[in-house]
Amino acid sequence: MSRLYAKNLKIAYGERDIVKNLDISIPDGQITTIIGPNGCGKSTVLKTLSRILNPKSGVVYLDGKGISKEPTKQIAQKMAILPQSPDSPEGLTVGELVSYGRFPYQKGLGKLARRDFEVIDWALEVTGNYEFKDRAVDALSGGQRQRVWIAMALAQETDIILLDEPTTYLDLSHQLEVLELLYQLNRDQKRTIVMVIHDLNHAARFAHHMVAMKDGAILKEGSAEEVMTRQVLRNVFSIDAEIGVDPRTRKPVCLTYDLIKSVQLVENLA
Amino acid sequence: MMNARQIKKIRMTTFVAILLLIAMFVISVATGFASLSPAELFRTLIGQGTPRENLILFEFRLPRIVVAIFTGMGLAVSGAILQSITKNPLSDPGILGINAGAGLMVVVYIMFFTVETSSSLYILPLFALAGGMGTAAVIYIMSYIKGEGVEPTRLVLVGVGLAAALYGAALTLSTRLDMEDYSFMANWMAGRIWGDDWTFVLSLLPWILILIPLTLYKSNVLNMLSFHENVSIGVGVNTGRERIVLLMIAVSLASASVAVSGGIAFVGLLAPHIARSLVGPRHQSFLPVAALIGSILLLTADTVGRVILDPNGIPAGIIVTIIGAPYFMYLLAKK
Repeated sequence: MSRLYAKNLKIAYGERDIVKNLDISIPDGQITTIIGPNGCGKSTVLKTLSRILNPKSGVVYLDGKGISKEPTKQIAQKMAILPQSPDSPEGLTVGELVSYGRFPYQKGLGKLARRDFEVIDWALEVTGNYEFKDRAVDALSGGQRQRVWIAMALAQETDIILLDEPTTYLDLSHQLEVLELLYQLNRDQKRTIVMVIHDLNHAARFAHHMVAMKDGAILKEGSAEEVMTRQVLRNVFSIDAEIGVDPRTRKPVCLTYDLIKSVQLVENLA
Repeated sequence: MMNARQIKKIRMTTFVAILLLIAMFVISVATGFASLSPAELFRTLIGQGTPRENLILFEFRLPRIVVAIFTGMGLAVSGAILQSITKNPLSDPGILGINAGAGLMVVVYIMFFTVETSSSLYILPLFALAGGMGTAAVIYIMSYIKGEGVEPTRLVLVGVGLAAALYGAALTLSTRLDMEDYSFMANWMAGRIWGDDWTFVLSLLPWILILIPLTLYKSNVLNMLSFHENVSIGVGVNTGRERIVLLMIAVSLASASVAVSGGIAFVGLLAPHIARSLVGPRHQSFLPVAALIGSILLLTADTVGRVILDPNGIPAGIIVTIIGAPYFMYLLAKK
């Protein structure tokens, strides 16, 4: 079953078509990762699913209703989106930013009720931000800041969370920290998580469902084992990859790779 | 989500700002031509004043002070809105050309009506409003890029260009005015608070009384609009509609204010900045502080300008510019 799916999406920036005719369906209660080369339209699709972009044609459905027809605040109570490396106003504190996640539930002046405080505290706690709540967001390191933004998305109390490259610009340990947090949220609370991610091994390690895109279309989707294959990676990224099994997680990993161009060059020479 | 220390700081800052405004009010009444000492002022306020004191306070001084306070508030809140919805810290109704558009219509007004007839004074803010709205519409259309929305830098550049053109047009038109009207016009452009009887206060009152509380009510939306669209749409803000509504509020506040106060720049830039640096960027906290600082700034500028060059004084707009221009340069350099 899918609460979130889209049919016949055509998405364009101005005159340039990015996505021509795409169907996508997000499995409930699972982690979905979207991979693909730069410019393949993966972020565009994520933005369209979250109504930041309007498709030229086609419809995104959430709980059976087209999202462009539904009140945007109601959608925000079901689905949160964390854009790629967002900025925050100078001097805004962690606690304030996370409290903004309660916007979909507030009316008028936006005085926080007891329930709001409970959710905000929980979101700060679970993301390990509680002790920083009085600090300015713009004074934090990249990894901490990303965790704060995730906390804000959590404060929105949505079953579905979409994330656009949540690990970009983070170092190795911070990348894993963010991904494990998302993994726990999915495991413990059955939240549906969709993320666009560049690192293939991370994508395979944390995904229940993987989507590989190229030139605005889905080339292959399925389990990590089905998508992380030599053939799929050759078609998607034009690379010749060596796929192995991670001795710790038993998930497929890309051990090494070459560009197809250079492989042919080597073969030609031999 | 604020801790006790933050809340205390916001209350203290607001309280101190109110005290400063009251102090400035007392100083303003106590200085210059036809002044009242603090003791006389107090006596007059509680209804024990002599007829002369009553006349000075209620007929000469108070209307002008109230106009300065209201326009300071209007410009400050207008600037705060513009800075948030354009996500550009340099936005200000003066810089965006809204004052110039309102100014052009003020010239047109003077060409058809005389300034002295008080019955038409209520119409003047409407003229200014038409000018301000027209300018805002042109700026909005010219800086709107399909699919991307309004790009902040473009908005400011278009505004600056348009402001220059509109001031040029106003100057050209004003050469056709007779001596008296021309001098009024020149003073208006320099930002001399000319509205100094109760009629002006009344013509300004509805705008301030309705639009400033409405803006406060929209604090939550303004908080979200100061982020990138990706964020504000995600939490459920109807960004297109809210931005236009708030833009119209900002333009109306600025136009109604400058119609009475003259073309005063920089208050809308300075006041929100100072307020944010004192109490942080949450609109619920900084909008009231910004409004208070705006009125303190303008009342101070008007008082100083009035005192240092008798008998006519230096227009408040020029005094504000002397403080505001270096601050603007500082902000530019910091960016």
